[in-house]
Amino acid sequence: MSASPSTTAPPAAGEAGAPTAREKRGAAKRRTPPARRGERLVGYTFMTPWIIGSLVFTVGPMLWSLYLSFTDYHLVLGGEWIGLANYTAMFDDPMFGRAVKVTLLYVLLAVPLKLIASLAVAMLLTQSRRGIGFYRAAFYMPSLIAMSVGIAIVWKVLFAQGGPQDQIMSWFGWDGGGFIGNPDVSILMLVLLSIWTFGAPMVIFMAGLLQVPDELHEAAEVDGASKWHRFVHITIPMLSPVIFFNVLMETVHAFQLFGPAFIIGGTAGGPAWSTLFYTVRIYALAFVDLRMGYASAWAWMLVLAVGVVTLIMFRAAKNLVYYAGEDNR
Amino acid sequence: MIRDPYRLRRRSLLTGAAAAATLAAAAACGDDGPAGTADDPIEISFEWWGDENRAGITKEAVDLFMSKNEGIKVQTNFADFPTYWEGLTGRMASRDLPDVFQMDYSRLRQFGSSGMLLPLEGVVKTDDFREGFLDTAKLDGQLVAVPIAGNTLGLIYRADLFDAHGVAAPAPGYSWDEYGADITTLTPQMGEGKWGGGDWCGQYHFMELWLRQQGGSFYTEDGKALNFEAAQLVEWWGTSAGLYEAGMVPPVETTIEWVEGGLVQDKLASEIGWDNFMPSFAPPVEELGGTLALAAPPSLDPSNLGLYLKPSMQLVISGATEQAEAAAKLVDFLLGDPEAIAILGTNRGVPATNTGLENVEIDANTQGVLDYEESVAQYLTTPPPAPPSATGAIEVKFGEIYQQVQYGEMSAQEAADLFFTEAETLLAAEQ
Repeated sequence: MSASPSTTAPPAAGEAGAPTAREKRGAAKRRTPPARRGERLVGYTFMTPWIIGSLVFTVGPMLWSLYLSFTDYHLVLGGEWIGLANYTAMFDDPMFGRAVKVTLLYVLLAVPLKLIASLAVAMLLTQSRRGIGFYRAAFYMPSLIAMSVGIAIVWKVLFAQGGPQDQIMSWFGWDGGGFIGNPDVSILMLVLLSIWTFGAPMVIFMAGLLQVPDELHEAAEVDGASKWHRFVHITIPMLSPVIFFNVLMETVHAFQLFGPAFIIGGTAGGPAWSTLFYTVRIYALAFVDLRMGYASAWAWMLVLAVGVVTLIMFRAAKNLVYYAGEDNR
Repeated sequence: MIRDPYRLRRRSLLTGAAAAATLAAAAACGDDGPAGTADDPIEISFEWWGDENRAGITKEAVDLFMSKNEGIKVQTNFADFPTYWEGLTGRMASRDLPDVFQMDYSRLRQFGSSGMLLPLEGVVKTDDFREGFLDTAKLDGQLVAVPIAGNTLGLIYRADLFDAHGVAAPAPGYSWDEYGADITTLTPQMGEGKWGGGDWCGQYHFMELWLRQQGGSFYTEDGKALNFEAAQLVEWWGTSAGLYEAGMVPPVETTIEWVEGGLVQDKLASEIGWDNFMPSFAPPVEELGGTLALAAPPSLDPSNLGLYLKPSMQLVISGATEQAEAAAKLVDFLLGDPEAIAILGTNRGVPATNTGLENVEIDANTQGVLDYEESVAQYLTTPPPAPPSATGAIEVKFGEIYQQVQYGEMSAQEAADLFFTEAETLLAAEQ
């Protein structure tokens, strides 16, 4: 293919002979020279604080919650082993379906819109213009503050009854009031908040865009390809690994949205459960209803669901993502 | 094995450093605890729910306590009601409760039944409480809390607006329908964005009142189940449905954004509520040129208003406290010290102790509360037993599910069935 020589030729060559080379390296690793072993011990010693930290604060609690999910643990009264009862109860729980619906709706709205917005802005910001550094910083800025409590509160004011959104939209004949009190559109507030904070995927897109070799564009231009054609047939395929990465990360994040939803809608996911995100419901089950065991089962169901979604994406990516240099695809 | 002497030394150095760190940490644990002097004070923590105003006077009283007890340092903290309980619930799981904290009757069992609260008999002074106040401080016969003040339900209303719009002052025993008719008279006269009264159906306390007026109760005597039928809940939610549809009470789209009560914002002319709220609502309403008054809540039965004297707030001491003595000193001080009482005033309600009642400054509004309580004294009946632990969650659910009805997302029947499912699950979770 025409792309491979210009971009990452040396690693491509390495990858081509990969199977045998990797095997050799693996075999070599098994026989570590003693001097290396001492070095490794020192390395681990320096890592101890982090290893302890992650065992105590991440792995430990996770295993504990896995255990709790098989009990009817009550935050105050304790609990007993009840097997899979929590997991089966979930499907009879009227709130489960609601929470899943709200969360999926959010994922389906927020992820594509955010990625389209961030790609569009990234394309503008990779042009060489005067003062481009300022614009890059300015567009990244919201991401630094967006997940903060402060912004969620500002959002509440913006979308209040008679607030800026209500006023501006009513000039155009809107009579639905502020988004805050309207269950039909309240989720859009959170989608907008997510779109506004596209800094992280934008930076990644920018890095990806700068990697696309100019020769390809120049060659296509000489052949008379329009801007749109170049975007669809050069930019998108060359960018596909980056797009895949962003889709994956943003999807996983979107499933986990909690902070802004919690501040805007409260534990009740107001108004009328329209912002009752899965994570918000987990919080309410655990800390309002005190049903820690059941809440843990919900949490593990989310882990499972996100795992399955990720797996599906990886499968789909095999056919959709083009890695320059991997000519065998 | 090849041993590299340089590396070995570095390794032993690291081991040594680790050992030294462990020793230092162990040494730090060997402290004998504070001596309780001005230089090495005992530290206790005290938390409550409430607003800035309450925080100001409470801190003032605590400062006075610290100046009178040099060996004790009090860390204070406060939050609004829902946040306060969410925080404490989480901390309860890790046995990390403040030494002294403000308690609500509805949460007493949740905390008290699991040994989180220190039994207070003989720990704090109990000889000075006004009659009937200690009844609701006991859990299964054991004293685990002391009341700060008492309250009961009432109708807080704008006497000036009622008068101006030709509505007679509500007299004890008037019916829910009459109250609804009053609201229907008031709302159209008050203009856009103002209403004669609030929608009362989302509060489980008000439904409890309504059930008591029929001789019933919200929970069964043992607190293990709901003591009413889904049909009754549908009926209760129906009591304001006509007003809601006609726009006589504020719509949920509006009230969901309120961070203050409707009376204080000059948007409501009346509201069912706890009588001790009246004196704190009154000053802002007076600034608006209005006057507040108290009346008995509407009833189904003129001879039974369903009222009982409830502790508006209680103080408790954590069962895990290491400084029970200092904590008890603070409790006694807040409830019994004349100077402290003068500072705290009636912010938390009319004091529950005789010393409190003698030393608190009674202004016109507080007098109004006292007069009201005296006027309904003949209607006060035995308080229900401390509600089950799940009541906090049930209270939240009750409002949440009623919201579905207000938004028209569910019919009252569907919502009532859902409430029963949810409440029964919650009650079952603690059996």
